[in-house]
Amino acid sequence: MPKKSKKVEAQRQLFETEARPHLDMLYSMALRLTRAPVDAEDLVQDTLVRAYRFYDRFEAGTNFKAWLLKIQMNTFVNRYRRAAREKQVFDGPMATPVGEGVMSRASMRGLTDPVGNAERRLIAQEISRAFDELSDDARAMVMLADVEELSYKEIAEIVGCPIGTVMSRLHRARQQLQGSLQKHAVQLGIIEADDKVEDPIPLEAFRARKEARS
Amino acid sequence: MSCRLVRRHLGAFVDGELDPASQIEFERHLDACPGCQENLAFERSLRQLTRESIGPVQAPEHLWGRTLHRLDEIDATRAERTSIEARPMRWRQTWPIAAAAAAVLIVGGVTRLPASTDYQGAGMLQDVVNLHSQALPSDVQAEAPQDVVRYFQGKTPFPVKPARFAEPDMVFVGARYIKVGAHPAAALYYMHGGRRVTLLVFQSPEIMRNAHRIHVGGRELYYHDVGGSVVTIRQQGGVNYAFFGDLDRPVLFEIAANALVAD
Repeated sequence: MPKKSKKVEAQRQLFETEARPHLDMLYSMALRLTRAPVDAEDLVQDTLVRAYRFYDRFEAGTNFKAWLLKIQMNTFVNRYRRAAREKQVFDGPMATPVGEGVMSRASMRGLTDPVGNAERRLIAQEISRAFDELSDDARAMVMLADVEELSYKEIAEIVGCPIGTVMSRLHRARQQLQGSLQKHAVQLGIIEADDKVEDPIPLEAFRARKEARS
Repeated sequence: MSCRLVRRHLGAFVDGELDPASQIEFERHLDACPGCQENLAFERSLRQLTRESIGPVQAPEHLWGRTLHRLDEIDATRAERTSIEARPMRWRQTWPIAAAAAAVLIVGGVTRLPASTDYQGAGMLQDVVNLHSQALPSDVQAEAPQDVVRYFQGKTPFPVKPARFAEPDMVFVGARYIKVGAHPAAALYYMHGGRRVTLLVFQSPEIMRNAHRIHVGGRELYYHDVGGSVVTIRQQGGVNYAFFGDLDRPVLFEIAANALVAD
């Protein structure tokens, strides 16, 4: 094998130093996206290989973490999401409408004021389960915003959409998470079922419709 | 400001993503509204709980090493490309590094051979032979045969296993996913006494067209002469197993006939 040139070696050194600290972050993200350790490892490796290939296109001084995440998101979408179908269900006209509050006060208290450690663990487990039921998009949004605590601007750059879209997607993702969490928690008896959290139709609309009919 | 509006944008408020004017208005409303305060408290603790339950995990220890190994391969290719001799990469030179890897290595890209409609027969055979001389690096290494099986699951419509050979000289080195025309295929790499042998596993009835037929050791074999080399084909369970490489014709026939390709 021919000897590595000095330039290649320096580049490699730099890449390793920069990328290594993000390995756990990439893996956590990949694991939550793919939901399988084997796939997560492949995804992270593909991401880093791709990042290394295009390392010369990375603008020094800009956000390396966001750049890596962007590559990982793209790789994930290309490889694991065959069609954009899922996104349509999530974002498009078929998306379920979400109100501004999914839970009753009692449910909110039940979930966030756990009685003891055991219950706290149980709730954590249920959050994880509820999370896994979310769509790919929703999982990515919650990870980027709530776990990685990135700004909307960074998220917009990573997933490639306007900031306003980040806001609505994230809102919807969190609502879905809450809804799914509530369902699980009720099944487990952690909280009581809410009779009716919200009117399915706003009162004004209901009245208007009634008037029109009569 | 209505409670409805505040609650609708509570997430953005907690994220600190509202414009400064709205941020102040929200704060003012929240100070005076116990209901919204409760929602805010919930939003915050749920955020905390979410972070705890789906928060960062540690990557497996081997992952970084596995990745570095792939980077080594990229470096090697780059060094080749920039070297004065500028010759095509020879598999013989690269496989020992590849074989040294302890883990499974998977490459994102897929090598595609042409997929045009008139692509068949001779063209396909030539591509198959070229595939051998190109000596593309493995996606999966030999150390874990189970990983090879798993690697091809979902990629090929048929199960792929490294073939087993009676000859002790045949050593499995690695495998790679490729496409022959529109057909997904697995290229399995072997070494036989210092010479390379490629076994291509795929489903393509076209490749049997105009093939010669012989019997070796009671086994029916097909073969094509392509340029100076021979491609030997076994058919089993609707799957084609094409053997080719740097071996003499009788040796290759013998190996192809005695291979345990599927069980």
